[in-house]
Amino acid sequence: MLICPSSTYRKCTLAISLLFVLIFSGATVRGETPTQASTLDELIAMFDSSSCKDCHEKTYGQWEKSHHARPLIGLDDEMLLSAYLKRIAKLGKPPEQAIKRDFPCFKCHFPQIKYGTDAVAGEIAKAVLRDDKALIRKLNIGCLVCHNEKAVVHGRPEKNVVYGNKDEADHEGPPIKGSPLLKSSLLCGQCHGLGPVLDNPDIPVQCATLYGSYLHAYIPSGGAQTCQDCHMKGHNHYMPPDFNQKEELSARLRESLPMEVQTLAYTFHPDEKTFFPMVVVKTKITSKAGHRIPDG
Amino acid sequence: MTASTPEGKKIFETSRAYMPQSTDSRSTQMVLGAANKLGLIRDTSIQPFAPKEETFEVPLPPDLRNAVIEVNLRYQLRPGNLCSIHKVIRNVSLDQMK
Repeated sequence: MLICPSSTYRKCTLAISLLFVLIFSGATVRGETPTQASTLDELIAMFDSSSCKDCHEKTYGQWEKSHHARPLIGLDDEMLLSAYLKRIAKLGKPPEQAIKRDFPCFKCHFPQIKYGTDAVAGEIAKAVLRDDKALIRKLNIGCLVCHNEKAVVHGRPEKNVVYGNKDEADHEGPPIKGSPLLKSSLLCGQCHGLGPVLDNPDIPVQCATLYGSYLHAYIPSGGAQTCQDCHMKGHNHYMPPDFNQKEELSARLRESLPMEVQTLAYTFHPDEKTFFPMVVVKTKITSKAGHRIPDG
Repeated sequence: MTASTPEGKKIFETSRAYMPQSTDSRSTQMVLGAANKLGLIRDTSIQPFAPKEETFEVPLPPDLRNAVIEVNLRYQLRPGNLCSIHKVIRNVSLDQMK
């Protein structure tokens, strides 16, 4: 308990008042409590970016083929969260009663969930359990995730604004504001992460550590490329690799990881009486990537 | 990496795993999968600006003068699901000087 001597009462009051001002002004800067969608349909509508397709058909088409268009669908059309929900069941919780806190994966695989209630998380759990891929495919890292929600880290993104590389006052549709983050690896690093995610003490996870590798291995070695330089050449929103496209993946990895092989066949003679044929194989794999491989 | 006789009989096989390796931070058992991993304990992955070099010494049977060396670099998406990156085959002979 804070006790103020009478002589310093005024100063103390001032200090407390100032503290309140700072706290409340901080809340205004960092973002008000997000609107909470109470149904999954409502949340999907909040982040629906299908109207972008009308004018940005090529870009939208590229994105539609990318993993960002299906972050909850894994390799070979597998429902990513099925096994995970079974794991929750093993902990004694009916999976259909899952709440937001039960889905640490959503931090990156469906970051919009922060604008939804626990009931929305429950709807997603039920959709996963009935293998409703049509619905789960609507939960994606669409235009507004990167061009709004993740486009600003100093404060909160503005509602109904799309962030791009520069201001575009005459943009048809929502206004476009420039954000330097759009060209920065930090944009991607918000999800293609640093290491263990300990936000939820009940279910700590460690998914992607790629940005950590970029920061601590690539940059210190003198690397100067950004994620976008290699994965969004020409502003391509396909953002390879696609791990389902084996030939394409193979070609990309072949380019990123050149391998040299040298062989030497000879008769080894380690001592006076011993001779035997031997082959020495030397391999050297060089990486052109800006991060460890494998990672995500 | 494998070595075989010219007739195709495998006489040597070895492999290397290049990957970040994690436990769940509750035991020394390595685990796979994002929902299980928590903390790297070893990292043999291929790092930027740091070539991975290996030397394999393959002793051949005494009467063998020729062998087929095959080096495969593959990306394992998950156990059993492999994507080929490089496949190098070399016919080597003790009867040919370089």
